[in-house]
Amino acid sequence: MIVELGHYALVLAFALSLIQSVLPMVGAVREDSRLMAIAPPVSVALFVLVALSFAALTAAYLSSDFSVVNVWENSHSAKPLIYKISGVWGNHEGSVLLWVLILVFFGALVGFFGTNIPASLRAATLAVQSWVTAGFILFILATSNPFNRIAEAPLEGNGLNPILQDIGLAIHPPLLYVGYVGFSITFSFAVAALILGRLDAAWARWVRPWTLLAWVFLTAGIAMGSYWAYYELGWGGWWFWDPVENASFMPWLAGTALLHSAIVMEKRDALKVWTVLLAIFTFSLSLLGTFLVRSGVLTSVHAFATDPERGVFILVLLCLFIGGSLTLYAWRAPMLKQGGLFAPISREGALVLNNLFLTAATVAVFVGTLYPLALDVITGEKISVGAPFFNLTFGPLMIPLLIAVPFGPVLAWKRGDLLAASQRLYAAFGIAILACLFTLWLWGFERVMAPLGVGLAVWVMTGAMVEILTRVKLFEVGLSRGFARLKGLPGSAWGTSIAHFGVGVTVLGIVTASAFQEERILTMKPGDNVELSGYELTFDGVVPRKGPNYREDVGHFTVRTGGTIVEKMEPSKRLYTARQMPTTEAAIMTSWFSQLYLSLGEGRDNGAVDVRVYFKPLVTLIWIGCMIMAFGGLVSIADRRLRVGAPKPARRATPSPQAAE
Amino acid sequence: MMFWILIAVMTAAAALSILVPLARSARREDPVEAEQTADTAVYRQQLAEVDRDLERGLIETEAAVAARTEIARRLLAADERQHGAETGSKSGALLRLAMVTALVFLPLGSFGLYLYLGSPDLPDQPLFARLSEPAENQSVDVLVARVERHLSENPQDGQGWSVVAPVYMRMGNPKAAANAYANAIRLLGATAQLETDFGEALTVANDGIVSADAQAAFERAVALEPGAVKPRFFLALALGQEGKSEEAIASWSSLLEGADPSEAWVPVAQAELAKLGGTQMAGRLGSGEALPGPSAEEVAAASDMTDQDRTAMISGMVEGLAERLDDTGGSVDEWLRLIRAYSVLGEGDKAAAALTKARKVFAEDTSSLGRINEMAEKAGIEGS
Repeated sequence: MIVELGHYALVLAFALSLIQSVLPMVGAVREDSRLMAIAPPVSVALFVLVALSFAALTAAYLSSDFSVVNVWENSHSAKPLIYKISGVWGNHEGSVLLWVLILVFFGALVGFFGTNIPASLRAATLAVQSWVTAGFILFILATSNPFNRIAEAPLEGNGLNPILQDIGLAIHPPLLYVGYVGFSITFSFAVAALILGRLDAAWARWVRPWTLLAWVFLTAGIAMGSYWAYYELGWGGWWFWDPVENASFMPWLAGTALLHSAIVMEKRDALKVWTVLLAIFTFSLSLLGTFLVRSGVLTSVHAFATDPERGVFILVLLCLFIGGSLTLYAWRAPMLKQGGLFAPISREGALVLNNLFLTAATVAVFVGTLYPLALDVITGEKISVGAPFFNLTFGPLMIPLLIAVPFGPVLAWKRGDLLAASQRLYAAFGIAILACLFTLWLWGFERVMAPLGVGLAVWVMTGAMVEILTRVKLFEVGLSRGFARLKGLPGSAWGTSIAHFGVGVTVLGIVTASAFQEERILTMKPGDNVELSGYELTFDGVVPRKGPNYREDVGHFTVRTGGTIVEKMEPSKRLYTARQMPTTEAAIMTSWFSQLYLSLGEGRDNGAVDVRVYFKPLVTLIWIGCMIMAFGGLVSIADRRLRVGAPKPARRATPSPQAAE
Repeated sequence: MMFWILIAVMTAAAALSILVPLARSARREDPVEAEQTADTAVYRQQLAEVDRDLERGLIETEAAVAARTEIARRLLAADERQHGAETGSKSGALLRLAMVTALVFLPLGSFGLYLYLGSPDLPDQPLFARLSEPAENQSVDVLVARVERHLSENPQDGQGWSVVAPVYMRMGNPKAAANAYANAIRLLGATAQLETDFGEALTVANDGIVSADAQAAFERAVALEPGAVKPRFFLALALGQEGKSEEAIASWSSLLEGADPSEAWVPVAQAELAKLGGTQMAGRLGSGEALPGPSAEEVAAASDMTDQDRTAMISGMVEGLAERLDDTGGSVDEWLRLIRAYSVLGEGDKAAAALTKARKVFAEDTSSLGRINEMAEKAGIEGS
């Protein structure tokens, strides 16, 4: 009964989303308050229904109800509890349901908390969100229904792909999805604004917290995915430029650009046309990512061609939403009144520069991701576009952007003074040079680019700190007053600095981990020693071990520095018996921000084994930096001025200045 | 019943989420005005921010003045819009349409679509509940799964293995049965019965060929109980399969000596003996066109046997025929019978191989070839 109720809830949600697609939009266009008033409660009802449906599917997984085809195909009664739950979204059908759940979740958030948004904009936005929702629920019901049943239930399921049986992968997709589906709400805001023909500074302000929220989750999700690949795939790489990664990275780049251009729109009423276009593009890239990952196009273009039902369906949705919104854009955008003017050297100018580079970077990733696919479709030729392409295109685009990062926040709006801004950044520049020299002294001239990279990272980090310090005039007003002023700074200012600092931290991690990594790939016999970056590793032998649903060969290593034992490391090679699938489990020793990374290759005769040992200096900074960025985003959302759900200003004739604080 | 009530409740709640705001908002204040105040609220907030920033010295006075002018301009524009906007006419027809959608389209649409897509009659089947139902309500599959679950938790339960083993045999899974018997023997100790059944399972799993492992098992059984018939029966069969005709004949004869002719296995043994050219049945070999096939007794014996015994017996016979045809050749009728037997046993590959061989043998003989091809076509077998 529970399963069928879940199925019904989904169908009901579909019917309700169709109504939500039409009535509030009609209300918003005709300014009929009663029709508009439908939108918020229905958005909440939609969320409740889809959540019920998702809960029913989860219940089926938990109770191993193999009469549900989806459970039978992807679960196994002997699986640990956590993987029964993560199994819900570890497959195509469930993951699309999660997608829809997040769509309606953002709708409900706006419906419930968006009380400061004008009713017509809110109603139209929720209606647009429902178009997307209806499209995707239809996709589920028509091609990927997780509630299909088998009358004669089998007694055991097929189990989950072992590579997905990992705690990192259990939580990473939901985070990533919240991020990239979250941009749907920005898209809905943009389309609604285009339909209603009102796009102004106030709009940018209403949209900002939602964009930030999606961005925070996407940042965290990408970082987790990267760390997962790092320790699970056994090669010690943390970013592979593979299409699945790029699919989430493109919306991130576009979304970051959007965040910045929305600031200009909010403060100066400028860049409106561009901001709306970015909002459309960001979600379009999310949709594209979903298409790439979900249609099977990536695994093989030809597999897609032989079983195209799902892929074609998403493709149609994709064309409908992207094509439709762009058409609407082409029609409405010229009618928008351009807002404030500004000089090239100004805060706005800096943000435009940021947008230019981020967009160009998005295009580079886009080309690198889709070109091989297109080539395969057209000529049948298979090429792979890997790191070298992206290093040559994406890399050079990031360098000027990073150099410019500290300038942006210290430039004045409208008309900036580059010289004055530079003066404020003297200190940061000095520290960056010192960092350069220090790196040179430490590692010599071997790798000339690396010290420059370190300098760049330090420049971004100190620039972010200098910005906050100059804003409070810490050196002019003295410590105690300075701290008081520090506390009084708005959350968005803190958010900017923290996030920019995080960028610097990530860059530092990337530069040091790639330039100063040391590696040894060798065959070791028990008792052999290898020395690396001051660590002495002794291989003690390989011992077989049995896990709940796998067998593994565990290599035992002792790590010493200067003769004293620091750590025992146990990398292993696992074989998941149900699917006869091998995986590599790397062993990682973290010391400060650096890591010693150890993974096993093929076993040889007489107990010898191939071993890969890496020392990666400051590698964890890559992910710590991302977390700092995400934290900066959260601080910015928490800014009281943006906080949503405040008492309705609409009820008040004149909002009091206190409420405005 | 409960199910339909819950469905009705869900549908009603969804409909209410539309109907309630429709009814309630009739009393609300003018939306357009509310909207514009939301607009101006933002600009007023921005003005306050500028003041605050200025107060804290975060921005220069000049910039603050410029910003204030700009925001004030936006505020004025928003104000103007507020006064210029006309209150939208509230269409009664639209409202009625909205109510109709909530009351008619929503329930009918979702209900109809659900009936088309869903399986309302199918109850949940959580594994745990399925496994803990009383045994008499359960299918053999469920019972086996239950025992398997028990055994995976208590792999040292020899009794459990010995219980599940014959069930596997009956389900046509001789490999699992052999494994279960092996476990039972390991844990409970060898008995003639277990060893015999183990050997039999191995034999059936091996398409009726008595492998070395099976032979060893039967020998252990005979060692434990020298008079036992079944292991000796299989051992004799093994000797025949190995081509040790003399010894096989001796074994069969000793087995048949003093046996009760009404026993089910006796005719089979006699047939085997006859096939090997032993004396006991020699007179019964038919003459002329009649081919040596299973006698009426044998068929009767076969129908008394358990499925496994029957399968073993039939495949034993078929293999014997195949070997003979390979070694010494035979008539077209015999070849046809072999091919048909394979196809009936569901061994398409072997049938195809036999077909190929038969075509090669009768390549010169057009009438025989015609019959072979006709039969192959009828049975749907494709040789090369």
